[in-house]
Amino acid sequence: MSQVGDKDRMFIVKNLTKRFGDNIVLDNISLTIEKGKTTVVIGPSGCGKTVLIKHLIVLLRPSSGEVYFKNQRIDELSENELNKIRTHYGFLFQGGALFDSLSVAENILFPIRQHYKIEDWKEIGELVKIKLAMVGLDGFQNYYPANLSGGQQKRVALARAISLDPEVILYDEPTTGLDPVRADVINELILKLQRELGVTTVVVTHDMTSVYKIADRIIMLHNGKIIADGDTEHIRNHPHPSVQQFINGQVSEDDLAVLRMSGHVSKAQFLPRDFEK
Amino acid sequence: MIEIVGTKTIAGVSSSGRFAQFVWQTMTASTWSCIRSRTYPLIWTQMLVIGVRSVPVIMITGAFVGMILAIQAYDQLRAMGMEERLGVLINISVVKELGPVLAALMLAGRVGGALTAELGTMNVTEQIDAVRSMGTNPIRYLVAPRVLACLLLTPFLIIYADLMGIVGGYIVSVLLKGINSQAYWSFSASGVELWDVAVGVINGLFFGAAIAVISCYKGFTCREGAHGVGQACTEAFVASFITILALDYALAVLFKAIYSTFWPVKSLVG
Repeated sequence: MSQVGDKDRMFIVKNLTKRFGDNIVLDNISLTIEKGKTTVVIGPSGCGKTVLIKHLIVLLRPSSGEVYFKNQRIDELSENELNKIRTHYGFLFQGGALFDSLSVAENILFPIRQHYKIEDWKEIGELVKIKLAMVGLDGFQNYYPANLSGGQQKRVALARAISLDPEVILYDEPTTGLDPVRADVINELILKLQRELGVTTVVVTHDMTSVYKIADRIIMLHNGKIIADGDTEHIRNHPHPSVQQFINGQVSEDDLAVLRMSGHVSKAQFLPRDFEK
Repeated sequence: MIEIVGTKTIAGVSSSGRFAQFVWQTMTASTWSCIRSRTYPLIWTQMLVIGVRSVPVIMITGAFVGMILAIQAYDQLRAMGMEERLGVLINISVVKELGPVLAALMLAGRVGGALTAELGTMNVTEQIDAVRSMGTNPIRYLVAPRVLACLLLTPFLIIYADLMGIVGGYIVSVLLKGINSQAYWSFSASGVELWDVAVGVINGLFFGAAIAVISCYKGFTCREGAHGVGQACTEAFVASFITILALDYALAVLFKAIYSTFWPVKSLVG
Protein backbone atom coordinates (compact mmCIF):
# COMPACT_ATOMS: atom_id res chain seq x y z
CA MET A 1 0.00 0.00 0.00
CA SER A 2 1.32 3.43 -0.86
CA GLN A 3 2.23 5.84 1.90
CA VAL A 4 -0.42 8.48 2.56
CA GLY A 5 -0.11 11.86 4.23
CA ASP A 6 -1.51 12.50 7.72
CA LYS A 7 -4.40 14.54 6.37
CA ASP A 8 -5.59 11.78 4.04
CA ARG A 9 -5.99 9.25 6.82
CA MET A 10 -9.49 8.85 8.14
CA PHE A 11 -8.79 5.89 10.39
CA ILE A 12 -5.65 4.39 11.79
CA VAL A 13 -5.89 1.09 13.63
CA LYS A 14 -2.79 -0.02 15.53
CA ASN A 15 -2.26 -3.53 16.88
CA LEU A 16 -5.95 -4.05 17.53
CA THR A 17 -6.80 -7.24 19.41
CA LYS A 18 -10.29 -8.17 20.55
CA ARG A 19 -11.16 -11.13 22.76
CA PHE A 20 -14.56 -12.38 23.84
CA GLY A 21 -13.69 -14.61 26.79
CA ASP A 22 -11.00 -16.97 25.51
CA ASN A 23 -11.99 -16.48 21.91
CA ILE A 24 -9.64 -14.16 20.00
CA VAL A 25 -11.73 -12.52 17.27
CA LEU A 26 -9.26 -9.91 16.05
CA ASP A 27 -5.58 -10.70 16.37
CA ASN A 28 -3.14 -7.78 16.32
CA ILE A 29 -4.60 -5.94 13.34
CA SER A 30 -3.04 -2.74 11.98
CA LEU A 31 -4.43 -0.79 9.06
CA THR A 32 -5.01 2.69 7.70
CA ILE A 33 -8.15 3.82 5.90
CA GLU A 34 -7.88 6.67 3.44
CA LYS A 35 -10.20 9.61 3.20
CA GLY A 36 -12.72 9.67 0.36
CA LYS A 37 -12.11 6.06 -0.69
CA THR A 38 -14.26 2.96 -0.51
CA THR A 39 -12.57 0.26 1.52
CA VAL A 40 -14.22 -3.14 1.59
CA VAL A 41 -13.49 -5.70 4.29
CA ILE A 42 -14.22 -9.26 3.17
CA GLY A 43 -13.93 -12.62 4.85
CA PRO A 44 -15.95 -15.69 5.77
CA SER A 45 -18.78 -15.41 8.31
CA GLY A 46 -17.50 -15.19 11.85
CA CYS A 47 -14.02 -13.92 10.89
CA GLY A 48 -14.42 -10.67 12.81
CA LYS A 49 -15.41 -8.25 10.02
CA THR A 50 -18.36 -6.76 11.91
CA VAL A 51 -16.32 -6.62 15.11
CA LEU A 52 -13.68 -4.66 13.19
CA ILE A 53 -16.02 -1.93 11.91
CA LYS A 54 -17.72 -1.68 15.28
CA HIS A 55 -14.28 -0.75 16.62
CA LEU A 56 -13.99 2.06 14.08
CA ILE A 57 -16.98 3.78 15.75
CA VAL A 58 -16.07 2.38 19.19
CA LEU A 59 -19.34 0.52 19.66
CA LEU A 60 -16.88 -2.11 20.91
CA ARG A 61 -13.70 -1.30 22.81
CA PRO A 62 -10.42 -3.04 21.97
CA SER A 63 -8.94 -5.60 24.36
CA SER A 64 -5.63 -4.04 23.37
CA GLY A 65 -4.46 -1.69 20.64
CA GLU A 66 -5.42 1.77 19.46
CA VAL A 67 -7.98 3.32 17.10
CA TYR A 68 -7.55 6.82 15.62
CA PHE A 69 -10.17 8.89 13.80
CA LYS A 70 -8.75 11.88 11.94
CA ASN A 71 -5.54 11.53 13.95
CA GLN A 72 -7.37 11.65 17.27
CA ARG A 73 -7.27 8.58 19.48
CA ILE A 74 -10.87 7.54 20.10
CA ASP A 75 -10.82 4.12 21.75
CA GLU A 76 -10.13 5.60 25.17
CA LEU A 77 -12.69 8.42 25.09
CA SER A 78 -15.70 8.39 27.42
CA GLU A 79 -19.14 7.68 25.94
CA ASN A 80 -20.03 11.39 26.23
CA GLU A 81 -16.96 12.48 24.28
CA LEU A 82 -17.58 9.72 21.74
CA ASN A 83 -21.15 10.89 21.18
CA LYS A 84 -19.83 14.17 19.73
CA ILE A 85 -17.45 12.30 17.43
CA ARG A 86 -20.11 9.82 16.34
CA THR A 87 -22.09 12.63 14.72
CA HIS A 88 -19.44 12.52 11.96
CA TYR A 89 -20.39 8.90 11.23
CA GLY A 90 -23.21 7.10 9.53
CA PHE A 91 -23.61 3.42 10.36
CA LEU A 92 -25.80 1.07 8.36
CA PHE A 93 -26.57 -1.99 10.48
CA GLN A 94 -26.96 -5.45 9.03
CA GLY A 95 -30.68 -5.65 9.74
CA GLY A 96 -31.23 -1.92 9.28
CA ALA A 97 -31.91 -1.47 13.03
CA LEU A 98 -34.74 0.98 12.34
CA PHE A 99 -36.73 1.95 15.43
CA ASP A 100 -39.92 -0.01 14.89
CA SER A 101 -42.00 2.23 17.12
CA LEU A 102 -41.20 5.28 14.96
CA SER A 103 -42.34 6.09 11.42
CA VAL A 104 -39.89 6.39 8.54
CA ALA A 105 -39.80 10.19 8.85
CA GLU A 106 -39.31 10.02 12.63
CA ASN A 107 -36.51 7.51 12.18
CA ILE A 108 -34.69 9.88 9.83
CA LEU A 109 -35.34 12.82 12.15
CA PHE A 110 -34.08 10.92 15.20
CA PRO A 111 -30.40 11.90 14.99
CA ILE A 112 -31.31 15.46 13.93
CA ARG A 113 -33.63 15.89 16.91
CA GLN A 114 -30.98 14.55 19.24
CA HIS A 115 -28.33 17.03 18.15
CA TYR A 116 -30.16 20.16 17.02
CA LYS A 117 -32.93 22.32 18.39
CA ILE A 118 -35.49 22.32 15.63
CA GLU A 119 -37.57 25.46 15.18
CA ASP A 120 -38.76 25.27 11.60
CA TRP A 121 -40.69 22.01 11.16
CA LYS A 122 -41.69 22.78 7.60
CA GLU A 123 -38.11 23.03 6.47
CA ILE A 124 -37.28 19.86 8.36
CA GLY A 125 -40.02 18.09 6.38
CA GLU A 126 -38.17 19.19 3.24
CA LEU A 127 -34.94 17.76 4.63
CA VAL A 128 -36.56 14.38 5.28
CA LYS A 129 -37.93 14.49 1.74
CA ILE A 130 -34.44 15.13 0.32
CA LYS A 131 -32.86 12.34 2.34
CA LEU A 132 -35.55 9.88 1.31
CA ALA A 133 -35.30 11.00 -2.31
CA MET A 134 -31.57 10.19 -2.21
CA VAL A 135 -32.44 6.55 -1.52
CA GLY A 136 -35.43 6.66 -3.88
CA LEU A 137 -38.15 6.38 -1.24
CA ASP A 138 -39.77 9.80 -1.12
CA GLY A 139 -43.43 9.42 -0.23
CA PHE A 140 -42.83 6.71 2.38
CA GLN A 141 -42.57 9.23 5.24
CA ASN A 142 -45.52 7.92 7.22
CA TYR A 143 -44.87 4.19 6.79
CA TYR A 144 -43.69 2.11 9.71
CA PRO A 145 -40.64 -0.19 9.33
CA ALA A 146 -42.85 -3.29 9.70
CA ASN A 147 -44.71 -2.31 6.50
CA LEU A 148 -41.54 -2.07 4.39
CA SER A 149 -39.69 -4.84 2.56
CA GLY A 150 -36.14 -5.80 3.61
CA GLY A 151 -34.57 -3.74 0.82
CA GLN A 152 -36.71 -0.70 1.62
CA GLN A 153 -35.82 -0.99 5.31
CA LYS A 154 -32.12 -0.93 4.42
CA ARG A 155 -32.62 2.11 2.20
CA VAL A 156 -34.49 3.96 4.97
CA ALA A 157 -31.72 2.98 7.37
CA LEU A 158 -29.25 4.43 4.87
CA ALA A 159 -31.27 7.65 4.66
CA ARG A 160 -31.12 7.79 8.46
CA ALA A 161 -27.37 7.13 8.43
CA ILE A 162 -26.78 10.13 6.14
CA SER A 163 -29.16 12.48 7.93
CA LEU A 164 -26.35 14.23 9.84
CA ASP A 165 -24.25 14.60 6.65
CA PRO A 166 -21.51 12.27 7.87
CA GLU A 167 -17.90 12.24 6.71
CA VAL A 168 -17.71 8.48 7.06
CA ILE A 169 -20.31 5.83 6.33
CA LEU A 170 -19.81 2.33 7.70
CA TYR A 171 -21.86 -0.43 6.11
CA ASP A 172 -22.32 -3.76 7.88
CA GLU A 173 -23.24 -6.36 5.23
CA PRO A 174 -25.47 -3.97 3.24
CA THR A 175 -26.58 -6.51 0.63
CA THR A 176 -27.07 -9.58 2.81
CA GLY A 177 -30.56 -11.01 2.58
CA LEU A 178 -31.53 -9.06 -0.55
CA ASP A 179 -32.26 -10.43 -4.01
CA PRO A 180 -29.61 -9.63 -6.69
CA VAL A 181 -31.54 -6.67 -8.10
CA ARG A 182 -32.19 -5.05 -4.70
CA ALA A 183 -28.58 -5.75 -3.76
CA ASP A 184 -27.46 -3.88 -6.86
CA VAL A 185 -29.69 -0.94 -5.89
CA ILE A 186 -27.79 -0.74 -2.60
CA ASN A 187 -24.45 -0.97 -4.45
CA GLU A 188 -25.48 1.89 -6.71
CA LEU A 189 -26.51 3.90 -3.65
CA ILE A 190 -23.17 3.31 -1.98
CA LEU A 191 -21.39 4.54 -5.12
CA LYS A 192 -23.74 7.48 -5.49
CA LEU A 193 -23.29 8.63 -1.89
CA GLN A 194 -19.56 8.33 -2.18
CA ARG A 195 -19.58 10.35 -5.42
CA GLU A 196 -22.08 13.01 -4.39
CA LEU A 197 -21.19 13.49 -0.75
CA GLY A 198 -17.48 12.64 -1.02
CA VAL A 199 -17.71 10.45 2.06
CA THR A 200 -15.21 7.88 3.20
CA THR A 201 -16.84 4.49 2.90
CA VAL A 202 -16.04 1.28 4.78
CA VAL A 203 -18.07 -1.76 3.79
CA VAL A 204 -18.07 -5.16 5.42
CA THR A 205 -19.48 -7.86 3.17
CA HIS A 206 -19.07 -11.34 1.76
CA ASP A 207 -20.94 -10.55 -1.45
CA MET A 208 -18.20 -10.62 -4.11
CA THR A 209 -20.39 -9.05 -6.84
CA SER A 210 -20.83 -6.07 -4.59
CA VAL A 211 -17.13 -6.00 -3.72
CA TYR A 212 -15.98 -5.84 -7.35
CA LYS A 213 -18.49 -3.12 -8.09
CA ILE A 214 -17.74 -0.69 -5.28
CA ALA A 215 -14.26 -1.33 -3.89
CA ASP A 216 -11.25 0.98 -4.28
CA ARG A 217 -9.40 -1.26 -1.91
CA ILE A 218 -10.12 -4.73 -0.52
CA ILE A 219 -8.96 -6.12 2.82
CA MET A 220 -9.47 -9.81 3.53
CA LEU A 221 -9.73 -11.05 7.10
CA HIS A 222 -9.22 -14.69 7.98
CA ASN A 223 -9.18 -16.06 11.54
CA GLY A 224 -8.80 -12.57 12.96
CA LYS A 225 -5.82 -11.59 10.78
CA ILE A 226 -5.45 -9.61 7.57
CA ILE A 227 -4.30 -12.03 4.87
CA ALA A 228 -4.71 -9.81 1.82
CA ASP A 229 -4.87 -6.06 1.24
CA GLY A 230 -4.95 -4.25 -2.09
CA ASP A 231 -7.04 -3.25 -5.10
CA THR A 232 -9.33 -5.58 -7.04
CA GLU A 233 -6.59 -6.83 -9.37
CA HIS A 234 -4.30 -7.55 -6.45
CA ILE A 235 -6.97 -9.64 -4.74
CA ARG A 236 -7.96 -11.50 -7.92
CA ASN A 237 -4.38 -12.58 -8.43
CA HIS A 238 -3.55 -13.18 -4.78
CA PRO A 239 -1.58 -16.40 -4.24
CA HIS A 240 -3.07 -17.27 -0.80
CA PRO A 241 -5.36 -20.32 -1.20
CA SER A 242 -7.93 -19.01 1.33
CA VAL A 243 -8.29 -15.79 -0.69
CA GLN A 244 -8.83 -17.70 -3.94
CA GLN A 245 -11.35 -20.05 -2.29
CA PHE A 246 -13.25 -17.13 -0.84
CA ILE A 247 -13.44 -14.93 -3.92
CA ASN A 248 -14.35 -17.86 -6.14
CA GLY A 249 -16.81 -19.29 -3.62
CA GLN A 250 -15.14 -22.70 -3.45
CA VAL A 251 -15.13 -25.05 -0.53
CA SER A 252 -11.73 -26.19 0.71
CA GLU A 253 -10.45 -29.77 0.31
CA ASP A 254 -10.48 -30.26 4.10
CA ASP A 255 -14.14 -29.25 4.34
CA LEU A 256 -15.00 -31.55 1.43
CA ALA A 257 -13.26 -34.45 3.13
CA VAL A 258 -15.35 -33.90 6.28
CA LEU A 259 -18.57 -33.77 4.22
CA ARG A 260 -17.76 -37.02 2.41
CA MET A 261 -16.95 -38.72 5.66
CA SER A 262 -20.12 -37.73 7.51
CA GLY A 263 -22.30 -38.52 4.46
CA HIS A 264 -20.78 -41.96 4.24
CA VAL A 265 -21.39 -42.68 7.93
CA SER A 266 -24.98 -41.50 7.94
CA LYS A 267 -25.89 -43.46 4.80
CA ALA A 268 -24.35 -46.62 6.10
CA GLN A 269 -25.59 -46.57 9.67
CA PHE A 270 -28.32 -44.11 10.54
CA LEU A 271 -31.48 -44.53 8.52
CA PRO A 272 -34.51 -43.37 10.50
CA ARG A 273 -36.50 -46.50 9.67
CA ASP A 274 -33.85 -48.64 11.37
CA PHE A 275 -34.99 -47.13 14.66
CA GLU A 276 -38.63 -48.12 14.13
CA LYS A 277 -40.02 -51.10 15.90
CA MET B 1 -13.59 -27.10 42.76
CA ILE B 2 -11.71 -23.99 43.88
CA GLU B 3 -11.57 -22.91 40.27
CA ILE B 4 -15.36 -23.17 39.93
CA VAL B 5 -15.93 -21.19 43.13
CA GLY B 6 -13.41 -18.60 41.96
CA THR B 7 -14.96 -18.24 38.50
CA LYS B 8 -18.45 -17.94 39.95
CA THR B 9 -17.29 -15.34 42.46
CA ILE B 10 -15.54 -13.27 39.80
CA ALA B 11 -18.60 -13.51 37.53
CA GLY B 12 -20.88 -12.48 40.40
CA VAL B 13 -18.74 -9.54 41.43
CA SER B 14 -18.31 -8.27 37.88
CA SER B 15 -22.00 -8.58 37.07
CA SER B 16 -22.96 -6.69 40.23
CA GLY B 17 -20.34 -4.12 39.27
CA ARG B 18 -21.95 -3.74 35.85
CA PHE B 19 -25.37 -3.42 37.47
CA ALA B 20 -24.08 -0.76 39.89
CA GLN B 21 -22.57 1.15 36.95
CA PHE B 22 -25.89 0.91 35.10
CA VAL B 23 -27.77 2.20 38.16
CA TRP B 24 -25.34 5.11 38.51
CA GLN B 25 -25.63 6.03 34.82
CA THR B 26 -29.41 5.77 35.07
CA MET B 27 -29.46 8.06 38.09
CA THR B 28 -27.36 10.74 36.43
CA ALA B 29 -29.27 10.45 33.16
CA SER B 30 -32.62 10.65 34.97
CA THR B 31 -31.55 13.75 36.88
CA TRP B 32 -30.55 15.31 33.57
CA SER B 33 -33.87 14.38 32.02
CA CYS B 34 -35.73 16.16 34.81
CA ILE B 35 -33.97 19.41 33.94
CA ARG B 36 -34.10 19.22 30.14
CA SER B 37 -37.58 19.96 28.85
CA ARG B 38 -36.75 18.28 25.52
CA THR B 39 -37.02 14.87 27.14
CA TYR B 40 -40.46 15.53 28.65
CA PRO B 41 -42.41 14.16 25.66
CA LEU B 42 -40.56 10.84 26.06
CA ILE B 43 -41.53 10.76 29.73
CA TRP B 44 -45.19 11.54 28.97
CA THR B 45 -45.33 8.67 26.47
CA GLN B 46 -43.88 6.24 29.00
CA MET B 47 -46.20 7.55 31.71
CA LEU B 48 -49.14 6.71 29.47
CA VAL B 49 -47.84 3.21 28.73
CA ILE B 50 -46.57 2.39 32.19
CA GLY B 51 -48.90 4.32 34.44
CA VAL B 52 -52.25 5.11 32.90
CA ARG B 53 -52.72 1.75 31.21
CA SER B 54 -51.92 -0.05 34.47
CA VAL B 55 -54.74 1.63 36.37
CA PRO B 56 -57.45 -1.01 35.65
CA VAL B 57 -55.39 -4.03 36.68
CA ILE B 58 -54.08 -2.22 39.74
CA MET B 59 -57.62 -1.30 40.80
CA ILE B 60 -58.82 -4.88 40.36
CA THR B 61 -55.85 -6.14 42.39
CA GLY B 62 -56.60 -3.67 45.18
CA ALA B 63 -60.30 -4.47 45.29
CA PHE B 64 -59.72 -8.20 45.62
CA VAL B 65 -57.13 -7.70 48.36
CA GLY B 66 -59.68 -5.76 50.44
CA MET B 67 -62.48 -8.24 49.76
CA ILE B 68 -60.40 -11.30 50.59
CA LEU B 69 -59.13 -9.76 53.83
CA ALA B 70 -62.72 -9.02 54.86
CA ILE B 71 -63.90 -12.56 54.15
CA GLN B 72 -60.98 -14.22 55.92
CA ALA B 73 -60.89 -11.99 59.01
CA TYR B 74 -64.63 -11.69 59.60
CA ASP B 75 -65.22 -15.10 61.18
CA GLN B 76 -62.28 -14.87 63.54
CA LEU B 77 -63.15 -11.39 64.76
CA ARG B 78 -66.78 -12.40 65.11
CA ALA B 79 -65.83 -15.34 67.35
CA MET B 80 -64.29 -12.79 69.69
CA GLY B 81 -67.22 -10.42 69.26
CA MET B 82 -65.02 -7.77 67.70
CA GLU B 83 -66.37 -7.79 64.15
CA GLU B 84 -66.89 -4.04 64.21
CA ARG B 85 -63.14 -3.63 64.35
CA LEU B 86 -62.83 -5.37 60.98
CA GLY B 87 -62.31 -1.95 59.34
CA VAL B 88 -59.07 -1.28 61.22
CA LEU B 89 -57.67 -4.66 60.32
CA ILE B 90 -58.54 -4.43 56.66
CA ASN B 91 -57.58 -0.84 56.13
CA ILE B 92 -54.30 -0.91 57.97
CA SER B 93 -53.21 -4.08 56.16
CA VAL B 94 -54.25 -2.63 52.83
CA VAL B 95 -52.65 0.80 53.06
CA LYS B 96 -49.52 -0.23 54.89
CA GLU B 97 -48.48 -3.50 53.30
CA LEU B 98 -50.71 -5.46 51.01
CA GLY B 99 -51.82 -2.62 48.74
CA PRO B 100 -48.32 -1.33 47.95
CA VAL B 101 -46.64 -4.74 47.74
CA LEU B 102 -49.28 -6.47 45.63
CA ALA B 103 -49.61 -3.43 43.37
CA ALA B 104 -45.84 -3.42 42.92
CA LEU B 105 -45.79 -7.14 42.16
CA MET B 106 -48.56 -6.65 39.64
CA LEU B 107 -46.51 -3.86 38.04
CA ALA B 108 -43.38 -6.02 38.02
CA GLY B 109 -45.32 -8.50 35.91
CA ARG B 110 -47.16 -6.08 33.69
CA VAL B 111 -44.62 -3.29 33.23
CA GLY B 112 -41.35 -5.07 34.02
CA GLY B 113 -42.01 -7.85 31.54
CA ALA B 114 -42.93 -5.40 28.80
CA LEU B 115 -39.88 -3.20 29.44
CA THR B 116 -37.46 -6.12 29.36
CA ALA B 117 -39.03 -7.61 26.24
CA GLU B 118 -39.05 -4.25 24.45
CA LEU B 119 -35.48 -3.24 25.31
CA GLY B 120 -34.25 -6.84 24.89
CA THR B 121 -35.65 -6.98 21.37
CA MET B 122 -34.13 -3.58 20.63
CA ASN B 123 -30.81 -4.89 21.90
CA VAL B 124 -30.96 -8.07 19.83
CA THR B 125 -31.93 -6.19 16.64
CA GLU B 126 -29.05 -3.71 17.21
CA GLN B 127 -31.42 -0.78 17.77
CA ILE B 128 -29.59 0.14 20.99
CA ASP B 129 -26.29 0.13 19.10
CA ALA B 130 -28.00 2.26 16.46
CA VAL B 131 -28.90 4.83 19.12
CA ARG B 132 -25.27 4.87 20.24
CA SER B 133 -23.96 5.06 16.68
CA MET B 134 -25.95 8.26 16.15
CA GLY B 135 -24.24 9.90 19.10
CA THR B 136 -27.03 9.52 21.63
CA ASN B 137 -26.70 7.97 25.05
CA PRO B 138 -29.18 5.04 25.04
CA ILE B 139 -29.55 5.24 28.81
CA ARG B 140 -30.69 8.84 28.54
CA TYR B 141 -32.98 8.18 25.60
CA LEU B 142 -34.40 4.78 26.52
CA VAL B 143 -33.89 4.07 30.21
CA ALA B 144 -34.28 7.44 31.96
CA PRO B 145 -37.84 8.17 30.68
CA ARG B 146 -38.98 4.68 31.64
CA VAL B 147 -37.43 4.83 35.09
CA LEU B 148 -38.82 8.30 35.77
CA ALA B 149 -42.30 7.31 34.60
CA CYS B 150 -42.27 4.19 36.75
CA LEU B 151 -40.79 5.97 39.77
CA LEU B 152 -43.24 8.87 39.68
CA LEU B 153 -46.39 6.91 38.88
CA THR B 154 -46.06 3.86 41.12
CA PRO B 155 -47.04 5.89 44.24
CA PHE B 156 -50.19 7.08 42.44
CA LEU B 157 -51.02 3.56 41.33
CA ILE B 158 -50.62 2.48 44.94
CA ILE B 159 -53.13 5.14 45.97
CA TYR B 160 -55.57 3.59 43.48
CA ALA B 161 -54.88 0.12 44.89
CA ASP B 162 -55.38 1.41 48.46
CA LEU B 163 -58.60 3.13 47.53
CA MET B 164 -60.04 0.07 45.84
CA GLY B 165 -58.87 -2.15 48.71
CA ILE B 166 -60.78 0.03 51.15
CA VAL B 167 -63.86 0.02 48.93
CA GLY B 168 -63.64 -3.75 48.44
CA GLY B 169 -63.29 -4.32 52.19
CA TYR B 170 -66.20 -2.01 52.86
CA ILE B 171 -68.48 -3.74 50.38
CA VAL B 172 -67.88 -7.17 51.88
CA SER B 173 -67.92 -6.05 55.53
CA VAL B 174 -70.85 -3.69 55.49
CA LEU B 175 -72.98 -4.77 52.56
CA LEU B 176 -72.47 -8.53 52.73
CA LYS B 177 -71.67 -9.18 56.37
CA GLY B 178 -73.90 -6.45 57.76
CA ILE B 179 -71.44 -4.63 60.00
CA ASN B 180 -72.61 -1.20 61.15
CA SER B 181 -71.22 1.29 58.68
CA GLN B 182 -70.59 4.04 61.22
CA ALA B 183 -68.75 1.72 63.59
CA TYR B 184 -66.71 0.38 60.68
CA TRP B 185 -65.51 3.82 59.67
CA SER B 186 -64.95 5.22 63.16
CA PHE B 187 -62.77 2.28 64.18
CA SER B 188 -60.95 2.58 60.86
CA ALA B 189 -60.33 6.29 61.34
CA SER B 190 -59.00 5.77 64.84
CA GLY B 191 -56.69 2.94 63.78
CA VAL B 192 -55.25 4.18 60.50
CA GLU B 193 -52.99 7.22 60.65
CA LEU B 194 -51.74 9.44 57.87
CA TRP B 195 -48.31 7.98 58.63
CA ASP B 196 -49.47 4.48 57.63
CA VAL B 197 -50.79 5.69 54.30
CA ALA B 198 -47.67 7.76 53.68
CA VAL B 199 -45.35 4.82 54.37
CA GLY B 200 -47.15 2.71 51.78
CA VAL B 201 -47.04 5.45 49.18
CA ILE B 202 -43.37 6.29 49.81
CA ASN B 203 -42.55 2.58 49.44
CA GLY B 204 -44.02 2.94 45.96
CA LEU B 205 -41.20 5.28 44.90
CA PHE B 206 -38.64 2.63 45.75
CA PHE B 207 -40.63 -0.23 44.24
CA GLY B 208 -41.20 1.68 41.01
CA ALA B 209 -37.55 2.60 40.63
CA ALA B 210 -36.45 -0.97 41.40
CA ILE B 211 -38.84 -2.51 38.86
CA ALA B 212 -37.82 -0.13 36.07
CA VAL B 213 -34.07 -0.26 36.68
CA ILE B 214 -33.95 -4.05 36.98
CA SER B 215 -36.14 -4.62 33.93
CA CYS B 216 -34.22 -2.14 31.77
CA TYR B 217 -30.90 -3.63 32.87
CA LYS B 218 -32.06 -7.13 31.97
CA GLY B 219 -33.24 -5.84 28.59
CA PHE B 220 -29.92 -4.12 27.91
CA THR B 221 -27.88 -7.21 28.80
CA CYS B 222 -30.16 -9.74 27.16
CA ARG B 223 -28.60 -12.48 25.04
CA GLU B 224 -29.43 -13.04 21.40
CA GLY B 225 -32.42 -14.92 20.08
CA ALA B 226 -35.98 -15.56 21.20
CA HIS B 227 -34.66 -17.70 24.04
CA GLY B 228 -32.44 -14.85 25.25
CA VAL B 229 -35.32 -12.36 25.40
CA GLY B 230 -37.58 -14.89 27.14
CA GLN B 231 -34.95 -15.70 29.69
CA ALA B 232 -34.25 -12.01 30.32
CA CYS B 233 -37.98 -11.43 31.00
CA THR B 234 -38.11 -14.30 33.47
CA GLU B 235 -34.97 -13.13 35.24
CA ALA B 236 -36.26 -9.56 35.35
CA PHE B 237 -39.56 -10.63 36.94
CA VAL B 238 -37.92 -12.92 39.50
CA ALA B 239 -35.31 -10.30 40.40
CA SER B 240 -37.96 -7.53 40.68
CA PHE B 241 -40.22 -9.78 42.80
CA ILE B 242 -37.48 -10.59 45.29
CA THR B 243 -36.17 -7.03 45.33
CA ILE B 244 -39.66 -5.71 46.10
CA LEU B 245 -40.04 -8.07 49.06
CA ALA B 246 -36.52 -7.35 50.31
CA LEU B 247 -37.01 -3.59 49.92
CA ASP B 248 -40.33 -3.88 51.71
CA TYR B 249 -38.63 -5.54 54.67
CA ALA B 250 -35.78 -3.02 54.74
CA LEU B 251 -38.15 -0.07 54.47
CA ALA B 252 -40.41 -1.52 57.17
CA VAL B 253 -37.44 -1.70 59.55
CA LEU B 254 -36.35 1.82 58.60
CA PHE B 255 -39.79 3.42 58.95
CA LYS B 256 -40.39 1.59 62.20
CA ALA B 257 -37.17 3.10 63.57
CA ILE B 258 -38.15 6.56 62.36
CA TYR B 259 -41.65 6.19 63.80
CA SER B 260 -40.48 5.02 67.23
CA THR B 261 -37.90 7.81 67.36
CA PHE B 262 -40.46 10.50 66.67
CA TRP B 263 -43.53 8.92 68.30
CA PRO B 264 -42.84 10.26 71.82
CA VAL B 265 -42.37 13.75 70.35
CA LYS B 266 -45.60 13.43 68.46
CA SER B 267 -47.55 12.59 71.61
CA LEU B 268 -46.14 15.72 73.23
CA VAL B 269 -47.08 17.90 70.28
CA GLY B 270 -50.43 16.34 69.48
